[in-house]
Amino acid sequence: MQPEDLRRALAARAGAGVLAVDAFPGMAGQVRFVRESALEVFRTARDELGFGHLAMVGAIDWVDRREVFYVVWSDAAKQYALLSTDVPAADPRIETASAVWPSANWHEREAWEMVGINFDHHPDLRHLLTPDGYAFHPLLRSFKLHEPEELEVKARHV
Amino acid sequence: MSGTPEAPQARTAAEAVASGALPMVHEPAVPFVEIETLRAREFLPAAKEALRDLIAEQGQTKLVRPVFNWAGRNSLFPLHWGLACCAIEFAAGFGARWDAERFGVVPRSSPRQCDLLIVNGTVTWKVAHKLITLYEQMPEPKWVIAMGNCATGGGPFRTAYSVVPGVDKLVPVDVYIAGCPPRPEAMLDGILRLEQLIRERKE
Repeated sequence: MQPEDLRRALAARAGAGVLAVDAFPGMAGQVRFVRESALEVFRTARDELGFGHLAMVGAIDWVDRREVFYVVWSDAAKQYALLSTDVPAADPRIETASAVWPSANWHEREAWEMVGINFDHHPDLRHLLTPDGYAFHPLLRSFKLHEPEELEVKARHV
Repeated sequence: MSGTPEAPQARTAAEAVASGALPMVHEPAVPFVEIETLRAREFLPAAKEALRDLIAEQGQTKLVRPVFNWAGRNSLFPLHWGLACCAIEFAAGFGARWDAERFGVVPRSSPRQCDLLIVNGTVTWKVAHKLITLYEQMPEPKWVIAMGNCATGGGPFRTAYSVVPGVDKLVPVDVYIAGCPPRPEAMLDGILRLEQLIRERKE
């Protein structure tokens, strides 16, 4: 599967939402889309393109914006593809992928607690790796290493 | 039991003895089991009373504590709970080469059976309240060993966002073992130092 195949198949249903389809080393391609059409891109990737398995969800803090990316796998094509979108740092919000791929549930919980991405309509957006009530998102660039005593005051909830 | 035809049929051992059909052996003729039960019933309150008098006379700390102390320090049961790489050294310490069992140290799987908590690894804030729960489930008297730099003070992760900087912020620690990770010899040394602490304990 080549980037052209991705572009052709995505144009039919999510054409307006797809910004670019580029080559990506080791993968079928990288699809950049706008966050409003996330669900259409997810459904097309799963139903039309055969990407039935969501391998991972991650997020990167680029200070001015935050990037959310999804790595999906096709059993038929034996290939990965990268779906990525940008969300503004002031309003880091995107529709959840767990309605399309249930495995997104825990990955989105981690992306939420580490980078602070808010996933709309997520069934169970709780802390995964940090304790409940943890006050900050540690993988943001604005997060500074704390003095242990200061962190203890903020993180201690037991 | 046989009797003469004109003699009345004896129904109990006492009647048989009274009628001459049985030679008198016991006085009174009470079944053996009953005697044992009676002895036990009489012994326990008597023993309690004697012990109470003894303790009142000698003082509990003087009489009983050394016995508990000796038994406790020679049979420290640590909780079989591995957190990180120190747990590998912990496990090696109970293998054939170091054999911590020769000091009476036997890891148990339930905190209810333990009197020693060896915190062997990095404690995160996520697992902190589980550690406190395990500590509170252990019966008194109980001791804690912080094994390795992570449990002692956070180790290389001291400033990390998820690591408790020293397990003594959660539970009282008796012995700290340095090392990253400490070798099994160091763990055994820590356990022997704890035994020494228990031996010198004043209550």
